[in-house]
Amino acid sequence: MADKRINTNINNTFLRKALKNFATAYPIARAKAFEGIDFAALRHRIAVSKLAGLKRLPELIAQFTASAEKTGAIVHFCRTPEDANRTIHGIIQSKNADFLVKSKAMTSEEIELNHYLEARGIRCLETDLGEWIIQLAGERPSHMVMPAIHKNKEEVAELFSKETGSDCPADIPFLVQKARETLRSGFLTGQVGMSGANVAMADSGAIALITNEGNARLVTTLPQTHIALIGVEKIVPSLDEALDVIEVLPKNATGQKLTSYLSFIKGPTGGDGRELHIVLLDNGRTDLAANPEFQTALQCVKCGACANVCPIYEIVGGHVFGHIYVGGIGLVLTPFFHGFDKAEEILKLCIGCRKCNEVCAAEIDIEGLIVDLRDKIRKPFGQKFMFGTMMKNRKLFHAALRAAYLAQKPFQSAGGRIRHLPMVLNRETANRSLPPIAETPFRDLMLKRPTTPTLAPKQEKVLFYSGCLADFVYPEMCTDTVESLEGLGYSVAFPQEQSCCGIPARYSGEMDAAREMAKLNIDVLLSEEADFVVTICPTCTMSITHDFVKLLADDPLYAEKAKRLAAKTLNYSELAARKIPPSPPLSKGGETAKQVVTYHDACHLKRGCGIHEEPRRVLRELANAEIKEMSDCDKCCGFGGSYSIKYPEISQEVLKNKLSNINETGVGILAVDCPGCKLQIEGGLEASGSKMRVEHTATLVRERMR
Amino acid sequence: MNETTVEKFRVAAQMIGAEVHSCGSGLGAANAAVRNFSTSNELSSLLQELAAGGSICASTLPGDLEAHLAGLVVSDRSTAADATLCISFAGAGIAATGSILVQLTDPAERAATALATKHAVFLRSSSIVSTLRDLSASLKAQLLGADTTYFSITTGPSRTADIERVLTIGVHGPKELHILLLEGE
Ligand code: SF4
Ligand code: SF4
Repeated sequence: MADKRINTNINNTFLRKALKNFATAYPIARAKAFEGIDFAALRHRIAVSKLAGLKRLPELIAQFTASAEKTGAIVHFCRTPEDANRTIHGIIQSKNADFLVKSKAMTSEEIELNHYLEARGIRCLETDLGEWIIQLAGERPSHMVMPAIHKNKEEVAELFSKETGSDCPADIPFLVQKARETLRSGFLTGQVGMSGANVAMADSGAIALITNEGNARLVTTLPQTHIALIGVEKIVPSLDEALDVIEVLPKNATGQKLTSYLSFIKGPTGGDGRELHIVLLDNGRTDLAANPEFQTALQCVKCGACANVCPIYEIVGGHVFGHIYVGGIGLVLTPFFHGFDKAEEILKLCIGCRKCNEVCAAEIDIEGLIVDLRDKIRKPFGQKFMFGTMMKNRKLFHAALRAAYLAQKPFQSAGGRIRHLPMVLNRETANRSLPPIAETPFRDLMLKRPTTPTLAPKQEKVLFYSGCLADFVYPEMCTDTVESLEGLGYSVAFPQEQSCCGIPARYSGEMDAAREMAKLNIDVLLSEEADFVVTICPTCTMSITHDFVKLLADDPLYAEKAKRLAAKTLNYSELAARKIPPSPPLSKGGETAKQVVTYHDACHLKRGCGIHEEPRRVLRELANAEIKEMSDCDKCCGFGGSYSIKYPEISQEVLKNKLSNINETGVGILAVDCPGCKLQIEGGLEASGSKMRVEHTATLVRERMR
Repeated sequence: MNETTVEKFRVAAQMIGAEVHSCGSGLGAANAAVRNFSTSNELSSLLQELAAGGSICASTLPGDLEAHLAGLVVSDRSTAADATLCISFAGAGIAATGSILVQLTDPAERAATALATKHAVFLRSSSIVSTLRDLSASLKAQLLGADTTYFSITTGPSRTADIERVLTIGVHGPKELHILLLEGE
């Protein structure tokens, strides 16, 4: 797949427009649906009860089975997709039937049931409108809740015309009516009906279906035999837990308070001849539920919200961003349900913005699971050397960066920026100009500085951890950091032995290398007495405050050290905000007029570290700025470190969305707290001819002091 | 049930596309004259109008309500597939979402409510609760009871947004949901 599919989908204007419209409308509808509801508390309750259930999943399955059998249902536990397919085929055959009428069930897609049955002469009819559309088109769903979001009305009209043999105009109400009429006979003549379930209750053996169209009620009613195909992770202890799922699901999925139909089914109803078969699908779930590293993935209630907000899904759609299950959680579940070979490519597509985590109905650290899974897939050739040998060795790595300064010289344009790289790297620079690697990195500038004077009484000492990008590309940003912090009263030192925080290694699944880099930096940053460690790169902040601790949790020597370092590491804005109001006041001359800026929240600062107030306070109080917010201020800029090099086309498309939001504000300065965001956005603005300045908050504070 | 809960229910139900008709207080018992539908006659003319000449089928209704349908020609439930209007009874309403709880354990009744073009449901205002959670005790009793059961919480008419995310009413289920609110009961 990869490149070709990605480009096809990027160039599919309808898909892009549909996904973009939805991405814009969804957060508004969602917020409205959750009005008056404590989402954080609700999803936390779901996470806790789901996890507790997963830890005793075999017991829940046994309890559900016993309860359901008591109601007269026949329960089949199927370990593999093959088992499930065979079992369902057997049920249909035992009824002498050859026509299965279905409502939506992702589990059926998961086991590719239609394919199996049709090969054996059984007709399958999908009656959910979206599922029917993709069945007619012979495709897979591109969203868990809106399977046909990638199809426009013209395509649907064409499919319906072909199917019904009558000319269908591309008019949505007409097409919906056509579906109603055409599928009616399917409901009335289907011999066996199939549904999924959104939740199953162990104490009563009942299942619940959350739907809008009304087809689920028909397929569970008109045929004498009803088969419900259910993933075992859908089982919860009782109605109490089920109600939480029901409360969250429609709101998070489509921004509806409740869907049109919420149906509870307990046992076969309607007397003689009526049968209810419940097919419980395992397909790796009980193993995954017992896997402490990844079990939280099964907390998922399949609301699809993680796809709804994902900036990459918005660009490429579900046929690229996922396998059968799509969106962030699709990336996580695919290796367990469908094998690691199916997951290798797609796991790399996540840019790490953590937007999905923010909305997840089950409080899953989706992004964290994606990163951890990368450790389990085959690594590209050469990557081991890159991280295992070169980056782990600080001198070698920094020497390579210095060499790059010389290698890039021929490609620099008059302004010093790089507009055109040689062929191999050309894709990357199409819509973006790149800043060159600096002739003198910040670490060398620091060597030339007079040594730090001894501390004044009560003066706090700060160690500055710059991060590679700022050190080698934006030395002046680092200087502004040091000088502005000094201006605020701190004493600042730069430990020369510091090296890369290891995030590129971690994101590429090289956990051992990442661990080594963490240790190296911990030693460097703890060896010198200081009150704080400060970073100006949110990814580094997140690395030190979260990842080091996690990576070294089992290390007898470093676990404690990592925690100690994390406790005193702050992002620039947090450290600067401690000095509000500044004394003495910062501005030397008379008070100048406020400058208007707009602010872009870096993903790793807002969602990686939970910081979004402090930068704004620092801008207002210390940089004398007025903030004009842009829409989607916390949406990813598309940089993602090496992501922008691996997937330049996607990265550029995400950037375009960002640029248009920035430009709409009409202000002259964009403030950021991340050198990566600066690199990406500044490059995009420059390539589009914009004169807007993009500055780190530290630079704007420093300017105020001049 | 206090006024505001009923009012909230009415607003929420209308917002989601259901029509709410007020039936005067005591319609069932004494045919007292209040508001829109004060007599059985007026009620049955509303139902006739909804059926628009098509056939009508009805679920088993509480005895007092059954009487109101006396003047209507109600066809056999086995012909539900062709019915224009299905009349049934909701055991409870939910104010927060404008939803109604309908017992559907009998497959013939279930089919009727799912197949008809329009669905008209009686609801006693006294049975309206604030949120779904307020029903949990009675739902639990039903789920944990000895009998098999099937019930739906219905919120507005059947809908879909599967083509271009455009909300369209009436894909497989009823295109219209009429709630016949029995006030003061
Ligand atoms: S972290 Fe961002 S890019 Fe990755 S799956 Fe989540 S929303 Fe998508
Ligand atoms: S991972 Fe979370 S957001 Fe995504 S579908 Fe599952 S519950 Fe919803």
